[in-house]
Amino acid sequence: MFVKRILIAAAALSYLGFLAVLGAAYFIGLKQASAWPPAGSGKAIDDKDLPKVEKNIQQLEKRLSGLLPKGLYIVIDTAENRLYVKNGKEVVRTAVVSCGSGVVLEEPGGKQRKWVFDTPRGEFSVKSKITNPYWVKPDWAFIEEGESIPKGLEDRIEAGTLGDYALGFGQGYFIHGTLYTRLLGRNVTHGCVRVGDDDLKAIFKSVPIGAKIYIY
Amino acid sequence: MTKTRRLSALLVAGLVCLGSAAGTDKAGLAKKQSSLISEYSLAKDSNFYFVLDVLGRKLELRVRGMVLRSWPFQSMRFWGRPEFSGDVELIQKTALKAPKRIVIKPGGEPEKAEPAPAPPANPAEFDLDALEVKDMPKKFSLDFDNGLHIVIKSKKAASAGFLGALREIWGWYVDLPLRNLFGPHTGAGLSELELTFDNEKDGQSIYWHFFEGIKGIVL
Repeated sequence: MFVKRILIAAAALSYLGFLAVLGAAYFIGLKQASAWPPAGSGKAIDDKDLPKVEKNIQQLEKRLSGLLPKGLYIVIDTAENRLYVKNGKEVVRTAVVSCGSGVVLEEPGGKQRKWVFDTPRGEFSVKSKITNPYWVKPDWAFIEEGESIPKGLEDRIEAGTLGDYALGFGQGYFIHGTLYTRLLGRNVTHGCVRVGDDDLKAIFKSVPIGAKIYIY
Repeated sequence: MTKTRRLSALLVAGLVCLGSAAGTDKAGLAKKQSSLISEYSLAKDSNFYFVLDVLGRKLELRVRGMVLRSWPFQSMRFWGRPEFSGDVELIQKTALKAPKRIVIKPGGEPEKAEPAPAPPANPAEFDLDALEVKDMPKKFSLDFDNGLHIVIKSKKAASAGFLGALREIWGWYVDLPLRNLFGPHTGAGLSELELTFDNEKDGQSIYWHFFEGIKGIVL
């Protein structure tokens, strides 16, 4: 009986101790939260400096908007598989596209090369515009199919796969057409951006060489 | 309890702010100036950056001063040291079930020939060998170089059954306060911000677009 009482008292004391510690933790937390917004942030400005600060803000906003690309440019959302042609802040055209699948291809045997089929992200520009493009199949296209890699260039050339137009943006990546229009909107490519025929034609006709491309 | 704490914190902040309206305007201008300076220094480069507007309740991905994606969040809660605003860099992105890339090795053992199921009528339902935004986690955390830890989750993921709710209650109302009290031995203290998004796709696309090393501004 005595031991039982001791145990109950110990349990009660432990519980009260836990509550006290938790209370202290909440007290500290509340104290920290009441210091928000932090005292250091947004120090008040002297009255005499006010016009200078306002002018500085206007200049910064102007400089920031000056960083936007001039003329038409392309923005590609690889998650949503959407391409936007924009002029300033205005969206001129929206297209459903297919971006990289994110798949990794590992070469079997000797060389054991590896390819990651991602659409590259970052700031690019239109480097070339090609009508009726041919696809010069790279090594991975043969490895993926389990075929041997040809030695002659003529065995690598394939017509019709890339659609009627292609816009190159460097490192072998293109915005081009597709035969697999049912898969537009899905991540299925080897890194290039596939676009439907009508959208591709409109993009090709309107976007000049040198136009910026933002892929995110 | 948290609501009371948050309300009292906002009340204190509100009283401090109401103390001098003119002073607030000036402080606001100074803050705007400093955030514009920070943003301009990031926007000068071609790299993507983000802006987390805690009071404006939105997270934005930007480049060259242009908003690429904006994710408004439905609610937020916070524990710990409040000095987390300023320029930050994402150090680590952690998820319980991080997505894994599909690896193709041609010439491997041939798969057993099984009759292929009929393809679905809607192309969006095709099961592809690809890593897509729908494969991204709905709940994950972001660790920044200033010690800020942000948990991103969707409203749907937040209500993950009784056990999930219990674990969450324990984590937020017991574990975090205690860790805040005892945990950090570095003296820095913890800063935990939890952002809940209405749409579960928002969290997934944030995971997709945010990469380790991305810089940003927390307002």
